[in-house]
Amino acid sequence: MSAQTYKKKYEISPSGDLPDKMTIYQDCMNTFNESPVNAKRCRLLISRLLRLLANGDTFPQNEATALFFSISKLFQHQSDSLRQSVYLAIKELSGISEDVLMATSSIMKDVQNGSDLIKPNALRSLTYVLDESTAFSAERLLKSAVVSKNPSISSAALCTSYNLLPISDVTIKRFANETQEAIVDLKQFVLLDEASEFYPTSTFTTQYHALGLIYQLKRNDKMALLKLVNQFSSGNALKNQFAMVQLVKIVDDLIHRDTQLISNFETLLTSWLDSKYESVQLETAKLITSFATHHSHLVGNRLFSNAVSTLQTMLSTPRVTSRFAALRVLNRISMVSPEKIVVCNPELESLINDSNRNVSTYAITTLLKTGTAKNISSLISTITKFFHEVSDDFKIIIIDAVRTLSLNFPQEWKPILDFLTDVLKNSEGGFNYKNSIVEAIIEIVSFIPQAKELAMEQLCDFIEDCEFNEILVRVLHLLGKEGPHTSTPSLYVRHIYNRVVLENSIIRSAAVVALSKFALIKNNTPLAESVVGLLKRISDDEDDEVRDRATISLKFIDSAKKNPVGEELLHSKYTYDLSSLEKKLTSYMSSNSDAFKTPFDVTSIPKYTEDEVKAMELKKKQQSFNSSTEELGTKFTDEAEETGKRLDSATYHGANLDEHSKDLQSTKYIDELLSIEQFKEFGSLINSSKTFPLTETEAEFVVNGVKHLFKEHVVLQFNITNTLTDVALDNVAVVCSSEDQESSELKELFTIPVDRLLPSEESACYVAFKKPEGVVMESFLNNLTFTTRELNPDTKLPFDDDEGFQDEYEIDPLVLNAGDYIKSSFVGDFSASFDELPNENVAVYNVQESMSLQEVIDKLIVNTSCLALENTQYAQNETNQHTLKLFGKSALNGTKIALIVKIVKSKKGIALKAQGRGEDATLSSDLVNGLM
Amino acid sequence: MNTTREAKGIEKNMSKATGKPMNGSTFLGSLYTVEAVLILNNNLGKASPEKEMGTGQQQQQQQDSGRVYVKYYTPPHTESEEAFNTLKKQIAFEKNLMSKTKKQDNEIMLLDNHLVLYKKCADVTLFLVGPISGNEILLNEAFGAFKGSLELVLNSSGIDRKNILEHYDMVLLAIDETFDNGIVLETDAAAIASRVSKPITQEPVQLDLDKGLLGAWGFAKSKLQELQQGL
Repeated sequence: MSAQTYKKKYEISPSGDLPDKMTIYQDCMNTFNESPVNAKRCRLLISRLLRLLANGDTFPQNEATALFFSISKLFQHQSDSLRQSVYLAIKELSGISEDVLMATSSIMKDVQNGSDLIKPNALRSLTYVLDESTAFSAERLLKSAVVSKNPSISSAALCTSYNLLPISDVTIKRFANETQEAIVDLKQFVLLDEASEFYPTSTFTTQYHALGLIYQLKRNDKMALLKLVNQFSSGNALKNQFAMVQLVKIVDDLIHRDTQLISNFETLLTSWLDSKYESVQLETAKLITSFATHHSHLVGNRLFSNAVSTLQTMLSTPRVTSRFAALRVLNRISMVSPEKIVVCNPELESLINDSNRNVSTYAITTLLKTGTAKNISSLISTITKFFHEVSDDFKIIIIDAVRTLSLNFPQEWKPILDFLTDVLKNSEGGFNYKNSIVEAIIEIVSFIPQAKELAMEQLCDFIEDCEFNEILVRVLHLLGKEGPHTSTPSLYVRHIYNRVVLENSIIRSAAVVALSKFALIKNNTPLAESVVGLLKRISDDEDDEVRDRATISLKFIDSAKKNPVGEELLHSKYTYDLSSLEKKLTSYMSSNSDAFKTPFDVTSIPKYTEDEVKAMELKKKQQSFNSSTEELGTKFTDEAEETGKRLDSATYHGANLDEHSKDLQSTKYIDELLSIEQFKEFGSLINSSKTFPLTETEAEFVVNGVKHLFKEHVVLQFNITNTLTDVALDNVAVVCSSEDQESSELKELFTIPVDRLLPSEESACYVAFKKPEGVVMESFLNNLTFTTRELNPDTKLPFDDDEGFQDEYEIDPLVLNAGDYIKSSFVGDFSASFDELPNENVAVYNVQESMSLQEVIDKLIVNTSCLALENTQYAQNETNQHTLKLFGKSALNGTKIALIVKIVKSKKGIALKAQGRGEDATLSSDLVNGLM
Repeated sequence: MNTTREAKGIEKNMSKATGKPMNGSTFLGSLYTVEAVLILNNNLGKASPEKEMGTGQQQQQQQDSGRVYVKYYTPPHTESEEAFNTLKKQIAFEKNLMSKTKKQDNEIMLLDNHLVLYKKCADVTLFLVGPISGNEILLNEAFGAFKGSLELVLNSSGIDRKNILEHYDMVLLAIDETFDNGIVLETDAAAIASRVSKPITQEPVQLDLDKGLLGAWGFAKSKLQELQQGL
């Protein structure tokens, strides 16, 4: 073979093209099996093989095995250079090849006698060739490598041990002591080649590996972990920043297991906030702030503000990563308690123009969250200045943030609306962008009554010159819905009719429907008549759809004068619960028992009035701000980069899914309940509570409760999960006894037990009561009764001869309170509605437990099942008092009820003063007196 | 239709919650802090003209993937449902990465619930993918080690596609010495580079003594010619 052809065949790499897979395979097989071994060529071929695998190519098992076998032959060559490559190949091929064990002895020989260069590679390849049955044989090798003075060898052994944990933790545990010593031992890096051109410094990463492994080994031993933290947090034991961060994570784990421990660690955490390593500062700040979101009363104000000021310093570092990391944490805090990070506002403002777009996006969204009523207008004017310079995607994110602002500070609607109309009119942009602005304005129309008319006028101006059909149709629908109730309906009629004259058929048909709603306005006959006139003219339209809609509308309007059905159709007062409607329709279609002779029964589907729909929407939005902030965080940057159409749907969708699944779950419970024969005679279901836990989630039997109300009955549903692995429960029932037997107004009717509950199954037990009409409140003590039957591990069935034995298990008490008779509802102007309502009741409470304001508020909202209005569902953290405004409707008769709760926190505890007004006097007093 | 789909979603969620204990990569304090290391060609998807001439599956693949080096780490000896367990998902993720980073060099971003650090070097981009909850500064440290060690082993010639492919063996070793199954092994670039063995430069000289002096001369001459052509 001449040098020329050799070169052609093996060194064509500059062009970057690999020969095809078969050629590589053949070359490898030939060259690896050559004798003597051509080391240079082998190393080249191995790297070519690995490149093929990295490209995503793979080999069938028999070929991979043949390759593996040939490669292990190369162990006979002593070149370290080749040996390193061989180890790479062994690691890559072990996943697809058979019989990888055959390489074990060669590798182990290298671990013992190889050069210091090779030993770490050999040790690390052990991860791949060992399995459950052979792992123990490496114990001695790993142990002696762990104590090696050479950090590379020690680290390699520690990592391999870590990798092998899932299959042989028993073996690894045997050298826990040596591992612990490796944390303390500062191993200097050994330069192997005297003539090396590199000047390595010792990083002591081995400490990190040893600490990580020890943590794994002692994870279940809280005391050992505490000792570990004490030992290594003092002095200068740890030199490596990875190891120090690892220690922070151990503390994180500990305080999540026992939340009270946080006070013990306070000094340590404070000192870590001043660590010389930014990574440690960051991890500690993350720990403190995320712990504080869940257990705010346990984290001292000083500690928290220290964490915030650490983050604040990070904001002005030149390193992008640090700024980004600090902003991410701040952004997360801003969603829960924005007032705590207001101090960072100057830094945040300077980051708005950061050259890194990810950083500036985070800065703006955070700023918009920290905005207070005072600085909103100045913030908006800051945004206006640079708004036109940024790209569409980025604008959408800002608009979204502004729209949350409008919900949080309804009284500041003026500058917000001005900003939105300004950007709507004066900027160019695609559909998604315009749509997000219109959406924001529509939200203002629906939730901020003071702003309604002005916002609608702005939308009218916008549709005069709008190129997007979809947006136009939405706006027209809104005008039709809201326009008739405004002070100047004729204005909207003119705008809508203009569309009929000027636009295409899609918009014309939408406009017809909107227009028809104006015809029913009471006490404005001239307008109604002229609308009818307009509609008559439209019924000559050239488009079928438009003509049809106009004709139908005219018919409805005509009949509405005589009978209310027509009016209802034109002006629907309620909407159906769509998901349950869909479900019922599907089952109706599929059952088809009598060829559709029985008409579909609409009455069984929950209906919502407009206020209720609004209440639900608002609730979802409030929750979506609160929900998994990390998820939102991802979306922000994701969206910043996204150019596709996912944008507008992604914003709320993700956060809502969780809520939606809860909704679905509750409809599921209701369906199950109604399908049980005994409950059919109870009539229609009036209200169902949320699911609430009655045991710890770690208990042997996990029980969740749901309360269902019928007109004259109450059904308690207990969802019981058997978490035991080898025991089945027979005849599982819940015995509910009223706390006050004498005066109980409820009569227990029957219990439907669960016949058999197998391990990890969930099933429901029902207890039914008869109750007098009206509101009845009662609390129950509950006991779970069952017969345990041991399971035959082979058949997973109970032993036949096992009689089982009776047992009881006490679960938490359950209270049927006034809140269960209430559905949350929305009202635009809370104070006015409150003043209008009669029957005032006042009650005062003292709460002794140590709870934070927010916890009290959350509890009140759950207990009353009302909707918190005017953004009062969040407590401002620095203050000691709060006023909560709640609104709801009776589930029994639909009467309104409103509550104002003043909460004051002092050293002695929390004092509540509840002021309730309602159309139903008893309900209002029951609610007020049964708050906590 | 919609409802049933969502109902399935719930079931899946519920089974997830009650299902297996967390695997190695997800819990807090795991040593597995790196999910993937990638070197991708900046001109992903843009096929060069001569490549379009070629046919066959392998040509096709090289055109599409734009991969120079790719390694997704999964904790060994665990059965995990990793995000990147199929080639299809990996390729989709890489496409997404490239489209997100094409215009700007922002160094760090969040993508699909991963934390991504990246840097453009000539015609390739280096990526380090970590979990969303990762410590950004530590990952940056690891990324620095990854990039720094490549710079050292490729010495003066710098990081670009041609150099990486020419010294692919050294690149592979450098990355292998930086990460082990997603564990950060070492963060000092010089320490990493010093553990990377140089390729074997000398062809084992095997003179066939039977051919005598003339044979030796012939061999030397061909070697010299080879050198000359190299210059």
